Amino acid sequence: MDDMTRGAASVPARLDQRPTRPARGAAWAVAGLAALSAGAALALRRRARPQRRLEGPPPVTLRVAKDLNRSAALLGLAALADSAVEHYRGSFHNPAMVTPLAVSTAVIGVSLFGTLDDRPRAHAVRDAAYGGAILTGAVGTGFHLFNVTKRPGGLSWLNLFYGAPIGAPSAVALAGLLGFFAERVRHTRPGEAPAKAPKVLGVPAADALAALVSLGILGTVAETALLHFRGAFHDPAMYLPMVVPPVGAALLAGTVLSGNGRPAMASTRAARWGLRATAALGFVGVGFHAFGVHRNMGGWRNWSQNILNGPPLPAPPSYTALALAGLATLSLEEDRRHAR
Amino acid sequence: MSGDRMFDDPMPDDPMEVPRATNGRAPDVFREGGWVPMREHSENEAVDFAIVGTGAGGGTLACKLAEAGFSVVAFDAGPYWRPLEDFASDETEQRKLFWTEDRLCDGDDPLKLGDNNSGRSVGGSTVHYAMVSLRFRPEWFQSRSKLGYGADWPIDWREMWRYYQEVERTLQISGPLSYPWGPKRPRYPRRPHELNAAALVLAKGAEALGIDWAPTPIATLSSPHGKAPPCVYRGFCTSGCSTNAKQSVLNTWLPRALAAGAEIRDLAMVGRIETDRAGLVTGVHYHRDGQWRFQRARNVVVAGYAIETPRLLLNSATDRFPDGLANSSGLVGSNLMVQLNQAVWGSMAEEVRSYKAPPSLALTEHWNYADDGKDFFGGYCYMSQGPLPIVWARTLAGSRGLWGEALMRQMERYNHQVGLKMVGECLPQERNRVTLADETDRYGLPVARVTYSYCDNDKRMMRHALGFMGQALEAAGATDLWEERDDTCHLNGTARMGSDPATSVVDADCRSWDIPNLWICDGSVFPTVGGVNPSLTIQAIACRTADRIQALAGRGAL
Repeated sequence: MDDMTRGAASVPARLDQRPTRPARGAAWAVAGLAALSAGAALALRRRARPQRRLEGPPPVTLRVAKDLNRSAALLGLAALADSAVEHYRGSFHNPAMVTPLAVSTAVIGVSLFGTLDDRPRAHAVRDAAYGGAILTGAVGTGFHLFNVTKRPGGLSWLNLFYGAPIGAPSAVALAGLLGFFAERVRHTRPGEAPAKAPKVLGVPAADALAALVSLGILGTVAETALLHFRGAFHDPAMYLPMVVPPVGAALLAGTVLSGNGRPAMASTRAARWGLRATAALGFVGVGFHAFGVHRNMGGWRNWSQNILNGPPLPAPPSYTALALAGLATLSLEEDRRHAR
Repeated sequence: MSGDRMFDDPMPDDPMEVPRATNGRAPDVFREGGWVPMREHSENEAVDFAIVGTGAGGGTLACKLAEAGFSVVAFDAGPYWRPLEDFASDETEQRKLFWTEDRLCDGDDPLKLGDNNSGRSVGGSTVHYAMVSLRFRPEWFQSRSKLGYGADWPIDWREMWRYYQEVERTLQISGPLSYPWGPKRPRYPRRPHELNAAALVLAKGAEALGIDWAPTPIATLSSPHGKAPPCVYRGFCTSGCSTNAKQSVLNTWLPRALAAGAEIRDLAMVGRIETDRAGLVTGVHYHRDGQWRFQRARNVVVAGYAIETPRLLLNSATDRFPDGLANSSGLVGSNLMVQLNQAVWGSMAEEVRSYKAPPSLALTEHWNYADDGKDFFGGYCYMSQGPLPIVWARTLAGSRGLWGEALMRQMERYNHQVGLKMVGECLPQERNRVTLADETDRYGLPVARVTYSYCDNDKRMMRHALGFMGQALEAAGATDLWEERDDTCHLNGTARMGSDPATSVVDADCRSWDIPNLWICDGSVFPTVGGVNPSLTIQAIACRTADRIQALAGRGAL
């Protein structure tokens, strides 16, 4: 025993020792934080109950619009954090790389404003910010595509893996689109009662939203698939986003877009649970990604490098944002059904 | 004795002085100061297999044989490292990984031995290899019949294809999704790494000249695997990977070997194989802890690479085998083959910092698979390069002849240097050989004399490659080009396999023709080397040998 103790003391302490315990601690701390924010978000959602300021309860459209503002804010936050980390990693070598940071910050700001605004009117500032986000997403996709194709090998797997991520700017655009929909759903012409079945660009809002959210989820799944494939699906949990969000998206689209307008209660309930699972996965994913950061050399002790190298912490909450928008869509759909 | 941290040596833990794999435990390569339990075997009881060398051949075979249930003791002259605690970011310190014992080199083109063709570690030279993991072109297994040069292997390429896959899975090779050359191969277990700037220069040059290029299939992780983190692109790969991202024999096959009950003896130099009157081997004499010892064994496998393997066989001569063991053909030591490692270097206007990341992230095998437009037999590939500062200074001083202020000025351009380097197939020649010198080493054993001369075909290939690589580098925008003409890499041959005892040393199963319980399993058995780095093929041969030994044992033919 004495020998063992003496031997242990003689082992030189090294700075680059792999920190198993602290790393796990940090991973759990991040996972805890993620869970906490999940709780907060759900609480916020709860508080989105009608506030009694008008004579009757506020219309469903206002509640849904605020839900969509909230989704846009969360998606904007994910896009802000992700583009901040990734563009910092790219040293902001092109000044345009600041744009998504500014635009997603604006989206977050106007979205929070929207959640506090009880007026059933679209707002020019919000529309401007959301429009800017849509434009930024489109232009950003162009930039990223250019970055990928200008590399030797062109549009190859290698360049899709390591060039600017093609799908990333779409998150900013999606945040803008959710906000744009929020404004349209909210808006009532002066003197008119809120529409029972609001329309966006001539299409019933519930249908348009269901399509947007489902496609948004599927696009995000495609991005996740590419990057998890790059990581060789080395952890079986990396298959979760290949399964859960597509199911949520399919159930949502199936419920809302099924055509005859009389979907069963069961299908709505299934869609709700599918979207809740998708929302939860977004938070759980942050925990998994925190664990993934720990599996890089030096673990969380080397956080300043490994947050950049490891799986992106802000990426998974995009699923939560889109799933929350999906849940709002279901409310709109139920309202439409009651009106029939 | 096993368990977490156990320290009972009063001695300082210097792996180069005191053996680590003793007292029922071996170093845990994944934890600083860590240990794993190790089964020990008595010297007086014959083990099924005594394996000399723990590199790509011996280490792989030790694992596979132990997993098949044989009792195995594997010997290595080198130390048992824990990469996390023993490897420094210092080229000079890390020369401890090279085999720098005395050897005599002669011939028209004497070899430079040491860094890129030998290793003295448990895990062999895979501890400092560049991790390039390429398959042979299928025709090379029959280069005599199909391509008109060299010698045929006694193994079908389709069989090798299966073993390549086993090794690629074990090493979790990162490679491209589609490989431009050769028959379709299964997907590599891990995705390719991001290319560094030096690799992009190769890609640009290849595209400008209209030939294919690819991310190099490479044995360092692009995503976490088990206890190993993904590569951090530190760039010290050929000086030893301190993170375990490199998948070497040391951290892949050997932990499995230990878990399956193999014993590994580090700092154990085998000096002689003992034979009995019946002409069978009975065990090995080895030097460890300051004294000569003897391990009895039912089979001996020699896996010391192309210089130490023939040296040991020749040093084990007896009255019955006066020319050395397994040498009735007279071919032990002959047909030594290096690979051409010539390079073209240049300078880019922009910074390249080629030392970042593994040195050879992109390659082209175009001239391995194209048969037209060549004035030589065989093939070559070339890869991007990332020499560390001391290697680079030595290259500038040695090969370019710069010194003083001229050398200093070039070193200031270090971040702009870029280069393409070939791995080219040398032809087997009987005159290129390993023999015993009169001088002896610290153990009193005769040292190896290594005789090497290029043939005309080698020189024609060299000229072709230098010309082509120069064009590619120029097309990619490099200026101030110069040729490094005197480098070689890898060692193969000296105990070739074949189907005729008169013209080969071992059969397709790596079993010596002369002594049925003596085996040779390393790069020595290659009849030809091909134009790719040999480590993957050596491991594939070892996997096949293990399967064959199992099959032979199953029908009582051992």
